Amino acid sequence: MSAILPPSERLWYRHPIDRVEGTWIVLALTWCLIMFFMMVGWHIWGKQNLSTETYRTTPAQFMAKAQEMVDKYTVRTETDLEIPVVAPPPGSDVYLLGRLWSFWPILELEKDKTYRLHLTAMDYNHGLSIQPININVQMVPGFEHVITVTPNQSGNYSIVCNEFCGIGHHQMVSHLYVK
Amino acid sequence: MSDEIPSDDETAPVPLLQQLMDNPFILLLLGVFIPMIVYVAWGVWEILNVPLAQ
Repeated sequence: MSAILPPSERLWYRHPIDRVEGTWIVLALTWCLIMFFMMVGWHIWGKQNLSTETYRTTPAQFMAKAQEMVDKYTVRTETDLEIPVVAPPPGSDVYLLGRLWSFWPILELEKDKTYRLHLTAMDYNHGLSIQPININVQMVPGFEHVITVTPNQSGNYSIVCNEFCGIGHHQMVSHLYVK
Repeated sequence: MSDEIPSDDETAPVPLLQQLMDNPFILLLLGVFIPMIVYVAWGVWEILNVPLAQ
């Protein structure tokens, strides 16, 4: 049967569906629906799809809030870039920004305490990737993502930028301390 | 394999879905506009409605 010729039956739609084709359609549809609802499931039980709140912001607006936090809660500085290490009070809003090519500031959080972590980028897209626990969130200029975090394990975590951002991307690393 | 072919009545109305499947231009329109609305338009609308930071 050539697909180029018109169908031989005028009312071809009323031709009963073949058993094998019908079975195939049911199986394919069932699998499609399983995969669709898995997306909901992964959001609930998976550890990658975070529920972020998202807001529009500007670099200046975000920097003002970040600077306010840094001015109040800096405990020391680290690295040649003298990045402030900040220990904000539990339950507060904490701010972390990415810019070419560093994260600012360094956060020192407390175990089992909840914080609202605000993330943005100053210039281009950066990726916040906390390792080895593998939490990944995009830092997008002009927007801020807010994640509610409760660190449940003390330690010294690494942050790497996992969104290519130029010549210094491979050096864009930081720390996250949980006491 | 089923060999039943219903009687091809010349005056019977053509089922609606058959009319749809037989019209390549409606199918083209649906194939372009449904993804455009569901992916692009809805996505852009959602981004434009992101609230301002407090």
